[in-house]
Amino acid sequence: MTKLRTERLTRAFLGLVAVNDVSFSMEEGEILGIIGPNGAGKTTFINLVSGIIMPSSGKVEYKGRDISYMPAHERARLGIARTYQLIHPLENLSLIENVMVGSIFAKGNGLKTARAKAEEVCASLGLTGLDRDTSKLTILEIKKMEIARALANEPEVLFLDEVMAGLNSDETRELIAQVQAIARERKLAVGVVEHVMGVIKELTHRVIVLEAGELIAEGPYEEVSKNPRVIEAYLGGAA
Amino acid sequence: MNRNLARVVATLLGALAVVLPALAGAYPLQVARNVMLYMALAITWDMLLRSGQISFGIAGLFGLGAYASILGVIRAGMPAWASIPFAAAFSALAALLIGYLILRLRGMYFSIVTLALAEIFRIVIHNLHDFTGGPEGIVAPAGVIFGGSASGLYWLALVGLAVALGASIWFEKSKFHFALTAIRDNEIAASSSGVDIFRWLLATFVITSGIQGLLGGIFVQSYGFATPDSVFSADFTLLPLAMALLGGIHGTVGPIMGAVLLGVASEWLKLQMPYGHLVVYGIIIIIVILFMPRGLYGLARKMARPAEGRAE
Ligand SMILES: Nc1ncnc2c1ncn2[C@@H]1O[C@H](COP(=O)(O)OP(=O)(O)OP(=O)(O)O)[C@@H](O)[C@H]1O
Ligand SMILES: [Mg+2]
Repeated sequence: MTKLRTERLTRAFLGLVAVNDVSFSMEEGEILGIIGPNGAGKTTFINLVSGIIMPSSGKVEYKGRDISYMPAHERARLGIARTYQLIHPLENLSLIENVMVGSIFAKGNGLKTARAKAEEVCASLGLTGLDRDTSKLTILEIKKMEIARALANEPEVLFLDEVMAGLNSDETRELIAQVQAIARERKLAVGVVEHVMGVIKELTHRVIVLEAGELIAEGPYEEVSKNPRVIEAYLGGAA
Repeated sequence: MNRNLARVVATLLGALAVVLPALAGAYPLQVARNVMLYMALAITWDMLLRSGQISFGIAGLFGLGAYASILGVIRAGMPAWASIPFAAAFSALAALLIGYLILRLRGMYFSIVTLALAEIFRIVIHNLHDFTGGPEGIVAPAGVIFGGSASGLYWLALVGLAVALGASIWFEKSKFHFALTAIRDNEIAASSSGVDIFRWLLATFVITSGIQGLLGGIFVQSYGFATPDSVFSADFTLLPLAMALLGGIHGTVGPIMGAVLLGVASEWLKLQMPYGHLVVYGIIIIIVILFMPRGLYGLARKMARPAEGRAE
């Protein structure tokens, strides 16, 4: 079943077209990689589908419903959740309270229920010491807290924008396994942005490749990574 | 340990507030009334501040409530007691309309617009001379509520404080705590978690303004008259702000502490320097912001458990 679809989605910033005419879809239970060189438009694309910014033209559909111009908090309630490339902890709330926010406002749960649900989500990510201030958390814990906060929305579609960045290889492996388990259990559609191709290869069923805002390739990682245009985009980006 | 201590102090203060009329004479009761009034205003100012919005509009909504109350009595023939909840409703309704217009503004822009509110209301009241009494003010023919009984006025002020306190504690223990803190910390993260930012800000602005209007009604009925200069005085903005900052922001305890300290001091200051006392509040605000951003309560907590203090 198609959860999320875009049609010719476009966003320009004063002449710079950050996302250009991108059409794609995400299916239930699918882990989709979103890759491309720096500045390709990956984060902007997630901002568009999660409602943080609005499109210049084109369409976003969630389960058949047009949500192109719906505000972010309403999309969160419908079932779209995300994390941020630059971490966004709520620093005057404790770890567990950060996670509760998703449950309270996206699901409309009371504080007691929200706490119980947040504890569950934290447990599935191996988070402990739940009453700590966010200033006391390690990078891995902050990343997990932000994933937990997104999961507390009880989403059907989840975007993870470079959550593995800044983690060492053991931590990365741990988080990959947890994300896979959670996605399977919850039948989530997950969109993953990562620069480390090992992560993309291991985690995703399919990838889309963006370059200068355009979707230039799509398919399983093994296939796409042999695509000459993709290779050129990466080499060109690195040069 | 700490929480028990706070509970003991709160119980003692509460007990003191209740027995005071039996012990104290008219003047101390009047000082207590003033302290309670400013304390309540400081608490309501802090409630909105928990969302990160700095309002300079206290005097505006307070004075509006004051005029709603006295005009309700004089022009609409309301009983004095009924004009007080009417004042609350009037300021709340005004805040709903104003909030719709200005709660999309952030930071300095929001603050500056709220600063203009008292001035705008004052000018309107000046100009609606026939209805409001204009610059000379207006006197209730029936005089002060409860026939001016010192203990009656005291109880009335205590009710006003109780409303503010109750609302503030409710905010701390309900979804408001999560909504406002999330908005203050990161609006983008908040909205991605489903927080309807505008709605929560509007609700908070309406509730706190309603209480400010209520306090304006209590104030004006305790004197039996209103002038634009007295009820829209910058005192009602600056003193509560200084109290909350001095005691500590983002919670109920700080504004209470600040109000007790500064409230008593300000009574004395007003006598010493009838015009200069505002300068002293200004200096207190600056010193606290520069050297003690979490106020006295924040300082006390830091000293009590330095290991758990939040990173500034
Ligand atoms: N708010 C904005 N205003 C102006 N330009 C923007 C804005 N947001 C993004 N851009 C520009 O849009 C382009 C795409 O940026 P985006 O952050 O989406 O890329 P990205 O693929 O996520 O890159 P990275 O891998 O470095 O995270 C960049 O050129 C960026 O400078
Ligand atoms: Mg990015």
